[in-house]
Amino acid sequence: MGNVTIPVGQAVQQSAEAEAESLKALFDGHRLLAINLVSSPGSGKTTLIEALIGALSGRKRIAVIEGDIETDIDAARIRKHGVQVRQITTRSSCHIPPFMLREALAHIDLSVVDLLFVENVGNLVCPAEIPLGEDVRVVALSVTEGDEKPLKYPLIFRTSSLLAVTKIDLLPYVRFDVGNVETAARAINPGIGIFRLSAQTGEGISAFADRLAALHDRKASL
Amino acid sequence: MHELGIAEELLRAILPQAERHGAKRITRVSLRIGVLRAVVADNLSFLFEHVARGTIAEGALLAIEEEPVVVACPACGARSGAQMVVLECPACGAEGIGLSGGDNLQIVDFDIDD
Repeated sequence: MGNVTIPVGQAVQQSAEAEAESLKALFDGHRLLAINLVSSPGSGKTTLIEALIGALSGRKRIAVIEGDIETDIDAARIRKHGVQVRQITTRSSCHIPPFMLREALAHIDLSVVDLLFVENVGNLVCPAEIPLGEDVRVVALSVTEGDEKPLKYPLIFRTSSLLAVTKIDLLPYVRFDVGNVETAARAINPGIGIFRLSAQTGEGISAFADRLAALHDRKASL
Repeated sequence: MHELGIAEELLRAILPQAERHGAKRITRVSLRIGVLRAVVADNLSFLFEHVARGTIAEGALLAIEEEPVVVACPACGARSGAQMVVLECPACGAEGIGLSGGDNLQIVDFDIDD
């Protein structure tokens, strides 16, 4: 009987990371590009996915997983576009946990999917911590939210490879300096790719769709 | 509330290791948490106490060390600590600095009674 110190030196979330690895293997096996779309509530994630479905129509086969705490309102919106869609209602969870994504994917025929969009629960904190085995994490930030967000929520901007600045058609009406956002996002994550988008006017949507299509082309050709 | 998920992950990480060492009780867990993880230490301690109830980690103390933000300057080479993300090098004022620490969430070690 004694008191012993056990050295560990491992990340707390190693088991979540192991689950994410197995999801990654699933995506890789189907050579599909998995996109984890994260943002605050109301930044326009669902509208962005709808615009991208239009822009990629005839080029890429799309499936969508919608994550919300409650309701299947978003899945119903996406279903109208004729793509495979499944709603996850996380109830108490502020992010999509890997096991819930796996359960939802059992209802999707992944063999006919090129791009899988996973729309995470609207929240700039928790989804940053939980990897889902995605190829690309896209953080969306709308111009109505304030340009200081990358400094306030650095982790989500650090772990995302693309930043979609959404609702830029509203720029004349709000105090939001896109340059400030770009400077801050690049200080936190120098390699981040930044796109200025408006799903209303269509500005920037085709360039963003082209980037995602190219990422899938590259993955599919490996 | 993301501390709840972290508390559960933490318990899931240490219990099997403690059992391998024949622990009867886990008395203290030492963590190093980067300030960018936005973990509220009191919340994490409270929630860990809750999830550990009924396990050998019940009543274990969490010793949480805060890891500061570290920025690296390509211009002067300085590595400086900060409490939040900064956009200019605290040493020489240059812009375009990179972040090189402050986002870890590590279990350093833990104490057991065996």
